[in-house]
Amino acid sequence: MDKIVIAAASMVGEEDVRMARLGTRFGRLDLASQLALVAVEALGVNFDLLPRELIGICLAARAGSLATDFDFWRGRDNAGGPSPTLFAYTLPSSAIGEIAIRHRLTGPNLCLTGEGSIIPEACDLLRRGEAQACLCVFYNVVTPAIAGLINSPAAALAGAILLRLGGNGVRELGENDRDIEKMCRVLCPKDLAS
Amino acid sequence: MSEVSKFSRPGVAIIGCGAITAVGRGVDALRAALKTNSSGLKPNARFDSPRFQSSIVGAVPPNDFPSGDPAFHLAVAALGEACDEARNVLSSIPAARIGLVLSTTKANIAALEQLAENEPCSDDARRHLQGYALAVDLAAGQGASGPVQCVSVACVSGLVALQQGAKLILRGDADAVLVVGVDHLSSFVVAGFTALKAIDPNGCRPFDRNRCGLSPGEAGAAIVLVRGDLAPSSAISMLGWGGSNDANHLTGPSRDGSGLALAIRRALNASGLQSPDIGYVNAHGTGTPYNDAMESMALRTVFGEKCPPVSAAKGMLGHTLGAAGVVETIVCILAMEGRFLPGTPRLIEPAEGTPAGLMRDPHVVDCLNVVLKLNTGFGGINGALILGHG
Repeated sequence: MDKIVIAAASMVGEEDVRMARLGTRFGRLDLASQLALVAVEALGVNFDLLPRELIGICLAARAGSLATDFDFWRGRDNAGGPSPTLFAYTLPSSAIGEIAIRHRLTGPNLCLTGEGSIIPEACDLLRRGEAQACLCVFYNVVTPAIAGLINSPAAALAGAILLRLGGNGVRELGENDRDIEKMCRVLCPKDLAS
Repeated sequence: MSEVSKFSRPGVAIIGCGAITAVGRGVDALRAALKTNSSGLKPNARFDSPRFQSSIVGAVPPNDFPSGDPAFHLAVAALGEACDEARNVLSSIPAARIGLVLSTTKANIAALEQLAENEPCSDDARRHLQGYALAVDLAAGQGASGPVQCVSVACVSGLVALQQGAKLILRGDADAVLVVGVDHLSSFVVAGFTALKAIDPNGCRPFDRNRCGLSPGEAGAAIVLVRGDLAPSSAISMLGWGGSNDANHLTGPSRDGSGLALAIRRALNASGLQSPDIGYVNAHGTGTPYNDAMESMALRTVFGEKCPPVSAAKGMLGHTLGAAGVVETIVCILAMEGRFLPGTPRLIEPAEGTPAGLMRDPHVVDCLNVVLKLNTGFGGINGALILGHG
């Protein structure tokens, strides 16, 4: 059986979102979806060279959409009521839709919240033939408003890894590669505090 | 119909179900409602406000579970029933080989509402704002110490959670997986769908010519999956599944149904079946104009003029979001076990273009061997699951 290869990896933070030029619609997205989109963009993958219907997207949303949930609910008393646009982003998986739309990817999807690892799930999609490549994406958005609620430090970062069966890439996927955030930090060292 | 032997392969079987829904507590209440085509949608004083598009919702009867931490209590009720049914097999499996996969979109979002209003909120209720923490506590409550996952892929979460449970078993990470779907009615969600103008003021009418939106609902639902060789020979199995993305719009379905059709074809391929093998389709059927039209087109694309009987349960239960895929799969299981085709509660006059096989009322059948369950969700995500005997 072909080895699974890390074809590309990226790591981004809020500054990358501010610098991004991804069209007029980008500004309407919530921060989690913006980070995820920018992370995929930073992979530098030419999706024209891949079968779009066989590219899976596996998303890890550690704190889910809680930051956006908080913003949506805080706006419930606004004139005109809560924002319909923001409501669409109160699902942890919204970033999957944004990535799929931008790159026209029609493969299977998965989103795990909390501590679940998406790497074995992406490998499963590849080994079962459900996908020929899999975009693994994580985001972690914890605003100061929710940090206390979930006892977590504030954060705004995302990373992405493209996994493929065989071929060339950054390196082969190892047996201990389970934590996508850790993998992205190692493969793409970056000072996100700046 | 294909040879029965086609379905007889090692895989993943279903040995227990539990549900708490708008039609009552327990699978028996659900079965009774299915046989009489009853609807649990009713006006609810909690949502009788200009802030909400409608007060008609699918609420679990208030005395059926304790107040506070509603997601946890709904899930516990359903999970307890499913595990009781599966007890004989589960008791023979080491705790470390029993996993849990939770399907939810908003977990215990009630806690966010309480905290925003400075109302009392227990530490547990606050923790259960996060689906993964809820999943961990549910697993601990059943003594399951195997792998735990929390799946959240919009309204397809339930079907994907069942797939994840099956995958954990098939790749040897667990011998049994407790799959739980839960979402509770909240001002948060009803206000959100109101903002999108997606609620039918008169209660949802899936596939009806006058349909104009969904009805929010709540439910806890649970299914116990086990390795095929551990299950009784009569158990229903997961034969195959497929997923896809429309890559089209964040909140609206594709207009041509091609994404859902792709998911159905993937499920058929995975199960080694052909479209004529499907004996019944349980549709997503939200009652929104675009979803039901898209679903009709997808079914026509796959089945042509020979579409099998189709019905939808959301006129009975409301749209239960993260619980939908699990509770509606239980509807399919009850139909297969009871040899009947469920109807489509609240459907009056089928819309133009709906599948010829659309069932308004339930019907008894001689046998029902293979069924197809569909769900679609925000983000353009589609899911299809095929169940069969053997």
